[in-house]
Amino acid sequence: MPRSAELPLLQGTLDVLILKALSWGPRHGHAVARLIRDTTDGAFEVLDGSLYASLHRMEDQGWVESDWALSDKGKRAKFYHLTAAGRTQLRREAATWRTYAGAVSKLLDATVQPA
Amino acid sequence: MSKKNPTWRRYLRFWGSDVESDLRDEFEFHLDAEIEQLVAEGWPAESARAEAVRRFGDIEQFRERCRRSDERRVARRRRLLSLSSLTRDARYAWRSLRKDRAFALTALACIALGVCVTTTSFSAVDAILLRPLPYPNDNRLLTITSEDVTRGYHGANISYADYVSWRNENRSFSSMGIWTWVTKTITTGETERMQGASVSANLFPTLGVRPVLGRNFVPDEEVTAASDVLLLSYGLWQRRFGSDSSIVGRTISVDGRPHRVIGIMPPGFAFPAQSEFWMPFAHDQLANEPHGNRGYAGAIGRLKPGVTFEQAAADLHSIDARMARDFPRDNKEWTADVKTLREDLMGDLKRPTLVFLGAGFLVLLIACANVANLLLVRGIARQREIAVRSALGAARADLLRQLLVESVLLATAGGILGALGGMWMVRLARFAFPNGVPFYLTFDPDLRVVAGAIAVILLTALVAGAMPAIQSTRLDVNRVLREGSRGGESLVRSRGRTVLVVGELAMSTLLLVGGVLLLRSYRAYVDTDLGFDRAGILTARITLPEKSYDDLSRRVSFFQTLEERVRAMPGVTVVGSAQGIPFSGWNTGAGLGFPDPSISPPDNPIDSHYQAVFPDFFPALGIHLVRGRQLSMSDRDTVAPVVVINESLAKRAFPGKDPLGQRLKFGPGNEPGPWYTIVGIVRDFRHYQLPQPMGPAVYLPYTEYQARSQTLVIRTTRKDPYALVPEVRAALNEIDPQIALYDIKTMDDAVAQSFWRQRLQSQVLGVFAGLAVLLAVIGMYGLISYGVAQRRREIGVRLALGARQSAVMGLVVKQGLALAATGVAIGIVASLALVGVIKSLVYGVSASDPVTYLVVGLVLFGVTVASTMIPARRAAAVDPIEAMRAD
Repeated sequence: MPRSAELPLLQGTLDVLILKALSWGPRHGHAVARLIRDTTDGAFEVLDGSLYASLHRMEDQGWVESDWALSDKGKRAKFYHLTAAGRTQLRREAATWRTYAGAVSKLLDATVQPA
Repeated sequence: MSKKNPTWRRYLRFWGSDVESDLRDEFEFHLDAEIEQLVAEGWPAESARAEAVRRFGDIEQFRERCRRSDERRVARRRRLLSLSSLTRDARYAWRSLRKDRAFALTALACIALGVCVTTTSFSAVDAILLRPLPYPNDNRLLTITSEDVTRGYHGANISYADYVSWRNENRSFSSMGIWTWVTKTITTGETERMQGASVSANLFPTLGVRPVLGRNFVPDEEVTAASDVLLLSYGLWQRRFGSDSSIVGRTISVDGRPHRVIGIMPPGFAFPAQSEFWMPFAHDQLANEPHGNRGYAGAIGRLKPGVTFEQAAADLHSIDARMARDFPRDNKEWTADVKTLREDLMGDLKRPTLVFLGAGFLVLLIACANVANLLLVRGIARQREIAVRSALGAARADLLRQLLVESVLLATAGGILGALGGMWMVRLARFAFPNGVPFYLTFDPDLRVVAGAIAVILLTALVAGAMPAIQSTRLDVNRVLREGSRGGESLVRSRGRTVLVVGELAMSTLLLVGGVLLLRSYRAYVDTDLGFDRAGILTARITLPEKSYDDLSRRVSFFQTLEERVRAMPGVTVVGSAQGIPFSGWNTGAGLGFPDPSISPPDNPIDSHYQAVFPDFFPALGIHLVRGRQLSMSDRDTVAPVVVINESLAKRAFPGKDPLGQRLKFGPGNEPGPWYTIVGIVRDFRHYQLPQPMGPAVYLPYTEYQARSQTLVIRTTRKDPYALVPEVRAALNEIDPQIALYDIKTMDDAVAQSFWRQRLQSQVLGVFAGLAVLLAVIGMYGLISYGVAQRRREIGVRLALGARQSAVMGLVVKQGLALAATGVAIGIVASLALVGVIKSLVYGVSASDPVTYLVVGLVLFGVTVASTMIPARRAAAVDPIEAMRAD
C-alpha cells in the first residue's frame, strides 16, 4: 500500500510519544509501534528500528524498565513500563512541547501582522 | 530472513542476562507480530514479510545501537551489584568472625605481630636509606677526605694545602668548604667543655643551611685576628641562654677569651654530629703548612649542575696526580677519598638495615603461614556451611570472594594495629644510638612508610588468604552433605598445612641461625682481649687553655698536682693520664726514623701511633711491662730523651734483636730532630676500636712532651666509679676553676659503647628470631593438636589393642620431631646458602661454624618436644571406648 507523504520526526519527539504510549500501562515494542502509528494516523515516518533504539536508550537512561512476559497470543515478549523518573520526564517533555507548539501556532495563526 | 533463536539458548538465560539473544528474540517477536498484523490487514503473505522488514529499517544498524545501550546498562548494573555484594560479604564476614572469636583473635595477633615487625624494619630502612638528608639537594653534596692508597687508610684527615689545590683547581664543584673538629671551654656562669667545629665561611652555604638568627661567618673572619666570633646551636641557645635573642651581638668567654656571638643555627642542626658551636676556620697561619700535614677533618663540596660523581672524583684525582708529581714525599701515596655525604654518614648502616628488613619480612611470612593454617582449619570446620551454600546456588567465585573478604578484613584490622605499633616502636630507635639519634636522621613515619604498611597488609591478606580460600571452596558437595560433620579432610589439604608448618620452621631456623651468629659475634667482640683492664677505671679529659698555660713547666705541675690530689682520695689506687685513651677515637701517628735507614725505608716507612703519657698510665690500665723499665717522672732530660715502645714496634723494627738502648726519631732518619732512646717495652693493647688491629706505638713521658690535653685514668676500688666525679671536679676546681672536666666515662662504658652496633644487631635479630620461633611453634602445635583430634578413633583402637600410653605419646612427639627435622634441615641449607649475606656483620666466628647450627637444631628440637607434649598427653588420655563410639 502506498504511503502518503510522511513528515520527518523532530528529534526528541519520538521519546515523548513512546513515553506517552507507555503511560497507559506496560506494552511490548510492537504494541507501542502500532499505537503511535495508529494514533498519529501514520502522519510520521517512523522506522520501527529507531523506535527500538529509543526504547533501549531510555531503558539505559532509567526512564523505562523491561520485563519478559507472555503476550496476549501466548508468545514470549519484552514488555516495557514507565518508571517514576520516566513519568516525570513525560510530564516535563509534554509541557515543553505544548509551550513550543503553542508559541509556534500563535504566530502562524496570526491574521493581522503584529505591531 | 531472520533466523529463529534456537530454543536451547533461552535456557542459558538462567545464568544471567544475555544481551545478544534477548535482542534477537525481541526483534523476532516484533517482525512476527507485524507480519501477522499486515496479513490481517490484507497483505499477501510473501510481501507482508518484506513490508515488515522495510518498515523496520536497517535491522543490523538498529540492533547495534540497541546492543550498545543494553551493554552500558548491564555493565552499570553489574558494578552496583558487586559493590553491594562486597558490603554484604563484609557484613557476613564480620558476623562470622565475631562468632569464632578465638580464631579471629589468634589470627589478628599473628598478623599484628608480623606487620608490626615489618613496619618497624621498613621505617628504619626509610629513615636510613631512603629519606633525604636535611640539606637541599643532598645528593649533590660530596665529602672529601684523604686516602692512603698503599696502606689502605680511608677517611683520613686532609691537609690545608691539599684542600686549597682541590678547591682552586677543580672544575666540578660549585663550592667547596673545609671543616675540622674543635673542643672549647665555654663559660657563662658555669664552665662547660663543648664539642664544636671550625668551618670555612662558605661551608654552611655549600650545605644550604643558614642561621635562624643573626648571620653566617664572612671570609674576612677566617683569620686568627678576626676569628673570635661564634655561631651557637639552637639547643645550646635554649639551654644556656633561655632562647634570648639579645645574645646575638654579645660576647661570651671561650677558652678564657671573649668571643662575640653572631648567630644561632636552626633547631636540630649539629654538624657534623653533636656540635654545639661553630667558629671560623682561620687559615692565615696555614699558608706555609706542607701538604703532608694532614690535621683537618675534611672538605665538603657541592657538585655543579650536570656533573656526575664519577666526573668529580676523576677531576680531583687528576689534581692529586699533579700534587704527587710536585710533592712526591707528601702526596705520592695519598689521594682524595670522595664519597657522597649520604654514603659517608650512613654507608656502614646500609647492610645491617637491609638485613633487618629481610628478617622482619621472614617474620611476616611466618605469621602469614600461621594465619593461612588457621584459615585452612577453619575452612575444614565450615565445610558443611560452604557445601550448603554451594548447593543453594552460590557460584564458586562468590564463595571465594566472600572468603577473601574475610581475610582482607582480618588483615586490615590486624595490620592497622601492627602498623601503628611498628611506627611507634621506631621511636625506641633513640635508645639504640649511643649518643641519641644523629641530627640528620628522622625516624618519624612519613608517607612512604604508610604506603609500605598498606602494601604489606594487602600482601598479607593475599598470601595468607588465597590458598585457604581456594582449598575451602574446592569440595565435593554431595560427599560433604552426606557424610556430615565427619566429612574427612582431603589428603591435599593436610599436606598443604604440613608444608606451611615445615616452611615456618625452616624460616625460623634461618632467623635463629642469624641471631645466634650475631650473638656470638657480639660476645666475640666483648670477650676480645683488649690488652687492658676495663673494670673499675674512670676516665675524664682535661684540656688546658693556651694562654694561661703557655709555660710548659706549668702544665707539668698542673697535672702532677691534680694526679696527686686524686690519688689521695679514698678508694683510688692508681692515677695516670694519656693524651688519648683507647677507644676514644683520638689518634696521632707519625713516620719513624732509625739510625739504620733500612729499618724504615722511604718506600715502606714505619708509621707509628704516639702520645705523651704520665708514667702511671700503664699500671692504671693494667698494661704489663714486658722488658726494660717504665717511664718515670724523673725522665726530664731533653737532650737524651727516652721513650717506651710496644711489642708490635719492637717486632717490626728490631726483629730478633733487643730494642732496649736502640734509638728512634719522629720523621725520616736524615732530618733534624732529637733521637729518643728506647728504655722499655710494653705489651700491645688495643687503642683503636675493634676490629682494627693494633700497630706500632711509641709512648713519650709527659715531662718531655707537654701536650695540652690529657685524659685522666683513675683506677678505683669503689663500686661505682662515677661516684668519684664530684670529688675530682672539686679537686680540679681548687687548682684552677677555669678548667672543666669533660668526656667523663668509665673504661667499661667506653668499650661497651663502641660495640653499640653489634649489640643492637644481635638484639634486634635475636628478638626477631624469638618471635619467629614462637610463631612457628604455635603453628606446629596447632597442626599436631588437630591431627590428634582427627585421629582419635585410630588412637582409641590402638589403645584398645594394648598399646601403651607412652607409645602413643611417642607417636605424637615423633610426628612433631619429623616436622621439625625437615624444617630445620631446609633452614640450615638455606642459611648456608645465604652465609655471604651476613658475613660482613659476623666477627670472630665463622659463618658456617657447626656449633651454631648444632645449637639452633637443639633449641628447635627442644621447643618442638615441649610444644608437642600437650597434644601427646591428650592423645594418651583418650578413652578408647568413647573414641570408637563417637561419630
